[in-house]
Amino acid sequence: MNELDDQLRELIPRLRRFAVSLTRNPSNADDLVQTCLERALSKWSDKRPEGDLRAWLFSILYRQFLDAHRRSRRYSRMLEFFTGRDDAHPSAERSVIAQSSLQAFDQLTTEQRALLMWVSVEGLSYQQVADILGVPTGTVMSRLSRARQALRQLSEGEITRPALRILK
Amino acid sequence: MISMPPSEHDLHAYVDRQLSEADQRQVETYLANQPDVAARVRAWQQDAQHLRTALSGALQQPANPDLDPAMIRQRLKHRSRRYLANVALLLLAIGMGGFSGWQAREMTLLSAAAPMADALQAYRLFAQQGILAADYQTDDEGSMQGWLDRYFTQANRLPDLSGAGFKPVSGRLLSTEQGAAAMVVYQDASGQKISFYVRPPGPKNFLLPRGSRRDGDLQAEYWSGPGYNYAMVIPSDTPTVQRLKQTLDF
Repeated sequence: MNELDDQLRELIPRLRRFAVSLTRNPSNADDLVQTCLERALSKWSDKRPEGDLRAWLFSILYRQFLDAHRRSRRYSRMLEFFTGRDDAHPSAERSVIAQSSLQAFDQLTTEQRALLMWVSVEGLSYQQVADILGVPTGTVMSRLSRARQALRQLSEGEITRPALRILK
Repeated sequence: MISMPPSEHDLHAYVDRQLSEADQRQVETYLANQPDVAARVRAWQQDAQHLRTALSGALQQPANPDLDPAMIRQRLKHRSRRYLANVALLLLAIGMGGFSGWQAREMTLLSAAAPMADALQAYRLFAQQGILAADYQTDDEGSMQGWLDRYFTQANRLPDLSGAGFKPVSGRLLSTEQGAAAMVVYQDASGQKISFYVRPPGPKNFLLPRGSRRDGDLQAEYWSGPGYNYAMVIPSDTPTVQRLKQTLDF
């Protein structure tokens, strides 16, 4: 048990980072990590994950985010009406994700952000990602290819805009 | 072993170092003679590198003790006990007349039964019991009207009750099955509270004829205006309020 706790502790910063990239809000991200760990620890006794602990946790976290996101979307329109502003993109996000390459990243879809996070940043194998998403590795590669192209286009947009301004 | 020229997928696998050593070298050789493809691949590599750099800071957040596995284990252990406690609280709340999630449900159920029962329910929960804080507080009548106008563009003006010593002090938004509702609480110098309640009429809450209904220690005066139903909720049987009812033409 303590050995598992130590392994988990080591992975927590990565889970938090992944959660921020999904929720774009640090406090929501920590709530998400907490539910993920609760789920992992309560499932651990009866369903020990095969293989990589990190990929298993990412997969739990990702699914919980999608569930929560689906639920919250139902309320977001009403929330917007009540508060008169768009709470889906709180200003805290700006402080976490400030750099311009992250601005491009931030405009990708949830799955594209998760894909690039897993493959480019965390270095998971295509097979691990395929297991998380429940799709064949070929599909992972096609989606990854689209995500990269989207990121490329978005970051080129970021770069050309200021350049044009200088020429003016 | 991949075939040459490498496919799009192979190029991505190369960027992600997911090819065998031999394939990795083969792609390298290929790229050395294909500057266009090499430029595309390099751009992907750079994007990935930028992303890693930009996101490396996110690993350095100060630790959150709530996320420590030992803490989470402890919470899980107490969960079943807390679950039972929550069930008890919920039963108690239903007995008392609605709370949080149940409050909305209760309101919906009641609204079908008696006109503007949700106005009375809201008064009990927010004005009498103070269960939730106000969304908006002010001493100024004009700004309270402004707050209400943000949500209900065509609603009646807030009634002027200053003749009886009542001023609007706080506002609270509520949700009903038919959409947003709002309650504005008025208070006088002695701390007496009355409320002005606006809600959209629903399928079960059509526009109402002007009426009055007594419910326990509260009196609801209700009517309909353009697009909304209104109610004033007043604690009955208090002298100040009797005076208020005489001064006002409900």
